[in-house]
Parts: sequence; C-alpha cells; structure tokens
Amino acid sequence: MIETVKLSKIFKGKKAVDEIDLYIDEGESIGLLGPNGAGKSTTISMISTLLKPTSGDVKLNGKSTIKNPGEIRRILGVVPQEIALYEELTAYENLKFFGEIYHVKKNILEQRTQEVLEMVGLKKRQKELVKTFSGGMKRRVNIAAALLHQPKVLILDEPTVGIDPQSRNHILETVRKLNEEYGTTVLYTSHYMEEVEQLCKRVYIMDHGKVVAAGSKEELLSILSSEDMIQVTLSETSERVVEKVKAINNIRRVDVTDKSLRIISKKGSSILSDLVHAVESEAIHLTNFQMEKPSLEDVFLHITGRTLRD
Amino acid sequence: MISFLKKDLLVFWRDRKEVLISILAPILILIVLNVAFSGISIDDTDELDVRAGLVLEDDEAAAFKQFEETLREMNLAEMEINAMMDQAKTLSPSGVMVSFFEDPELSSWIHTIEMSEEEAKKQVENGELEAIIKIPAGFTHDMLSQVMLGQPADTAIRFQIAEHSFETDILASVIDHYIETLNFQLALDAVTKDEGTELVLPQGGRDVISENIVEIELAQYYTIAMSSLFALFIAATVAVKTATEKRERVFNRILLTNSSPFSYLMGKVISTFLLAWIQLMLVFIATDLMLGIFPEKLSEFWLGIIVIVTFFSLTIAGLSAIFTSLTLRMSNINTANGLFTMVVMVLAALGGNFFSLEQFPNWVQELSQWTPTGVAIDLFTEFLQNGNAISFAVPLVKQFVFFCGFFALGILLFPERGRS
Repeated sequence: MIETVKLSKIFKGKKAVDEIDLYIDEGESIGLLGPNGAGKSTTISMISTLLKPTSGDVKLNGKSTIKNPGEIRRILGVVPQEIALYEELTAYENLKFFGEIYHVKKNILEQRTQEVLEMVGLKKRQKELVKTFSGGMKRRVNIAAALLHQPKVLILDEPTVGIDPQSRNHILETVRKLNEEYGTTVLYTSHYMEEVEQLCKRVYIMDHGKVVAAGSKEELLSILSSEDMIQVTLSETSERVVEKVKAINNIRRVDVTDKSLRIISKKGSSILSDLVHAVESEAIHLTNFQMEKPSLEDVFLHITGRTLRD
Repeated sequence: MISFLKKDLLVFWRDRKEVLISILAPILILIVLNVAFSGISIDDTDELDVRAGLVLEDDEAAAFKQFEETLREMNLAEMEINAMMDQAKTLSPSGVMVSFFEDPELSSWIHTIEMSEEEAKKQVENGELEAIIKIPAGFTHDMLSQVMLGQPADTAIRFQIAEHSFETDILASVIDHYIETLNFQLALDAVTKDEGTELVLPQGGRDVISENIVEIELAQYYTIAMSSLFALFIAATVAVKTATEKRERVFNRILLTNSSPFSYLMGKVISTFLLAWIQLMLVFIATDLMLGIFPEKLSEFWLGIIVIVTFFSLTIAGLSAIFTSLTLRMSNINTANGLFTMVVMVLAALGGNFFSLEQFPNWVQELSQWTPTGVAIDLFTEFLQNGNAISFAVPLVKQFVFFCGFFALGILLFPERGRS
C-alpha cells in the first residue's frame, strides 16, 4: 500500500532520515519505535507530504506521491505530536471545521462528528472550549479530528506524550479498535516500547535516522534468542563486584541499576555458581535472582547500546 | 473558503482581549485626543492678546491720483480709465488691510494702534508692543499696478517683531495668510472681471477660498487618522493569528486536508476586510455619538463614509494577504511581528495618520498620495469639507488597485509545500 524507497531528509547538512525503506500493507498495524531525535516525526512528515524528501520516494500503491500528493492525503489521517487544534473553539467547532475542509459531505458531517466524539469519549463535553480541556482530553480531540473523513491509513505521532493513564488507555483502546474492528491501517510512532508491543504486529526500530531493525515482534525478539537475561538483586553494589561479574566467562553484558544487575549471558551457560562466588568474595549478599523474557526495549538496547529514553 | 472565514471570525471573536483592543482602544484614544485638543483649539482665542503698532505710510488718495496718471499715459479711452479707477477704488488694498484689523473678531485679540514708525519702535523697545505692521508708501499704487496692469510690485507689507512668541507667530501667520488670499483674490478678479464675477475679499486669518468649503476640525482629522491607523493594525493582527496556527501546527493539519492555499488566504482576506470595516464604522459611529465629531450630517454623508470605509477595508484586506504569506515564510514570529509593525507605522506616517503633511515638501505629499492611508485620509477629509461635490473615482480606483496589487503579492509570496 505505502512504501518508502531510500527516503532521506537532510537539515542544514545533518541527516535526519537516512535512506530508510519501509512498507505498510493494507489493514496492518505498524510501529515506528525509537528514542527522541531518531527521525520518526521527520519520516512521518515526509510520508504525509508535509515535508519534501531530500532524496528517495514515498509510494502509494506503486505510484510516487512526491509530485502528486493529493491522492495520499485523501486516504491519510494524521495525528500530529502537537495539539493541532484551535484552543478558542469548542471540540465540536474544531471538528466541524476540520470536517468541512476535509470535504466531508454536509449531510453526513454532523453524524460523523458525533461518531468520532463518541469514539474518543468526549460526546458530553463537545460544547466546551478546547482550552479548558486537560492534556489527555485535548489529545483525544486531536485524534478525533484525524478520523472525520474515515481515513484508510491513520498515522499517529506519539499520541500519548504527557497524558494521564486513563486517557492513555482510552487512546490505545481507540487505536486498537480502529485497526481490528474497522480495518484501518495504522502507523504508530512512539518511544514507549510497551505501547508499540501492545498495538503493532510489525515494528521498525529507528536510531540516528536509520532503520536499525525491522520485523514482527517475534522476529525482533529472536535477535536475543541466543542470550539469557538475568536480573540479580544484591544487598549492595560496588565497582569491584561489577568488574568481577563482568569477568565471568560467557557473560556478555552487565548493566547496573540501583542495587540490581542486569546480566546478558550466552544462552544455556552455567554462570550461577561463578556469580555467587564473585559476589560473596566482596562480602555482598545475593538477595534475588530472576530469569527474564526479553522485550523490544532489550532488543533496542542490544542493537544500539542505549535505552529508548536515553 | 466559507469554512475558513467562519473559523477566522470565530477565533477572533473568542479572543475577547483582542476584540476590546481593536474596538475600544481607538475610541478611547480619540476621546483623550479630543479632550486634549479642545484646550488648544484655534478658535479659542480668549487667552491670546497681541498688541501691534500699525504704521500707515501709504497715502491712498495720492496713490489713486498717481494710478490715474499712469492710466492716462497709456492712452486709454476716457470711459475705460473711469471704469478702471472705479474698480481700483473698490479694491483699495491698504484700506482693506486696515479694516481687516478692525474686524470685531480679530480685534478682540489683536489690538492694532495706528502710529508713526518712530513711536512704534519706541513702544516695542519699551515692551508695550509686540510687533509692528507697516504698510509702506506706494503700497496701494504698486498693488493696483500689479493686479490691474500686470506690472511688478516693489513694495510689500512689513512685519517686525520684538521677539518670537506664540502670539507673534500666530499674528505673522494671520498676515501671511491674509496677503496670500488677497493676492489670490485680486488675481482671480483680474482674470474673471470680464465675466462679471464679484470679488470675494478674505475674511480673516483662515483660508476661506470658497464660501462652500467647510473647514475640517482637528478632532475630525484625528478621528479619521487614528481609526485608519488602528484599522491597518487589523492586517497585522490577522497575521499574528496565522503565526499561532503555524506554531501550534494547525496550519500543517490544514495542509493535510488537501485544502487550496487560495481558500486559506481568501479566508484571511475576507475576515480582515470584515473586521476592518466593522472596526472603522464602529469608531466613526461611537465617536460621533459620544463626542459629536460629525454634527448635523445626513444619511448621504454616512453613505459616503460607508463607500470610503469599504474600499479602504479592501486595501487593508490585501495587506493582510501579504502579512499572512510572510508569516508562513518567516521562521521567527517576533521578527515577522516587528516587520509588520514597522510597515504599518511607515504607511501611517506617510499617509498622515500621525500629523498633517501640509508643512512637508511637495514630494512627501505626492508620495503620501500613493499610500493606502494617504489616499484614504485625503478622501475622508475632502469628503468632510466638500461633501458629494468631490470626485470619488480616482481615490477609490487607487484603493482597489492597492487591494489587487497587495493580494496578488500575497499569493506570490504564499510558501510552497514544506517551506512554511
């Protein structure tokens, strides 16, 4: 349906997006995962025709959208990261305005407005000014404005930044419903790994403007299939004990968090007795030991050497 | 386009602070100005008291005799000489000058006392007089020869002052205006005498060229100047709203709807037009109701005002197209704001919004006629003075050309996709 071909964007000599290739099939739910500054928003801006790529192409059903952006705009609903609404207008007035300029037919606009308000749970508060809403409510209206023209593809750029858990859950549930019940194709960007894990079947991981890994969740997690992840809690930590643990055979990586060590070792290797010995030789007690399932966060850490929130 | 217009008007209306500033600020300023200027009205001469010595060296009887001799030397027919002498006695330049200062209105604050030059100088030195007005010998003969025979005049009224003061400046100005008007009327009489036009003598220190003219008052001038200045700012205000749309990414969202940039720009232009029109009319009506700025004006007057306001609002709407496009192009909103304020101020200064340009060189006044505010203020003031007798065509066409030019420039400046 939509694909990018070696899509690049250079701002003042700096590559914000570097030759990325991605594709989105109809009805899919795709996640674009990466830390702040990875190039997710720039990629979305190019796909949605707001930015012209420096090089490369965005294709809709095999046809370039660079010279003729009208067609892709018609099928896209874009939820920007910012609250792109008129604060001085009510939720209803905002949606009515955007519906009109999306050329939603007059005879169905009122019905569509009420439907999307119902969908985001703000039907009862539609006559209130947007500026009086909480951050989460504003974000919900922000999403509703992108749904008025019943887009085939919904692009959401970090739609849950800085909101309360209740609104966040509501938004995630709305997106899930749109994808699973209405068949809307979803491209969801976030630096919250758990959101992408929850909503998306396929994930692109971006860092420094490049796609560093791509695939289904299972495919990505299999990157870590040759390793075990162990969470160890100690009575206290010291540099010496960390050095001693790192020196144990088959241990590939040690990350220190508070009184815990997160250890990645070769799968199936027996490190427990060496670990206990290394810790106790420093007169420190091992209080907890737990084998963990790897997450996309771990995959990201494994690939880039840093966490999503770095 | 209607959707954009509705939205722009609604957004403006909801910003109550902006509405109050746009509507109330010009009215408040005009009230303050009206109060301030009422204290120094040029009609208020109660506080003025100027004493001047009138030195009359001109012998009018001898001048008429000399003028008759001059006519006889020209070998004119007796009947013609008699007719010209009758006319000369009617003109009586020095007599008119003397009776001018005896006018009850003028003599209430300019006290002239006839005396010799020597005595006048002495009194000026003693501080008893502030000025000397001298009508020199040969003044009448020279004036008659100049006006009726086209010969050059050597003598002129002399005006001497002890030291510059507000009063003496006013007196000098009164005499200058009087002489200019006298010369003009005499010349006019010489040209039109064959057509039987009667001579209209000057009425005092103010320029009354035609009896039909109504002088524009300072309060009226500032009502026009201030209201048109504030109306210009509407263009900048609308552009600032565009900056908010840009900052809050609403503009990007609009782009994604496949809406035409022309519709977006037209929304801004029409909303500016309506806002400027409403603001100008409200200011005129409110100041008239509260301060009586336009007394005894009939519906014809208000109809004329509506026409002028409509065309001027159109020009402001065109300006908003340029400002809107520049806002979308410029990355720094503060710079854009500063630029718009500067443009508005320059247009206002050149247009005469802050002060009348009558004292400026001709080229400044000419330039003013090519600014939207200059054309508007000129048309407003002329309309106030002459009513429907003036021609609306040229200034209104100019305003329309301004609108078309500004709007076309606005469209040209509108940024391409991805450049805003």
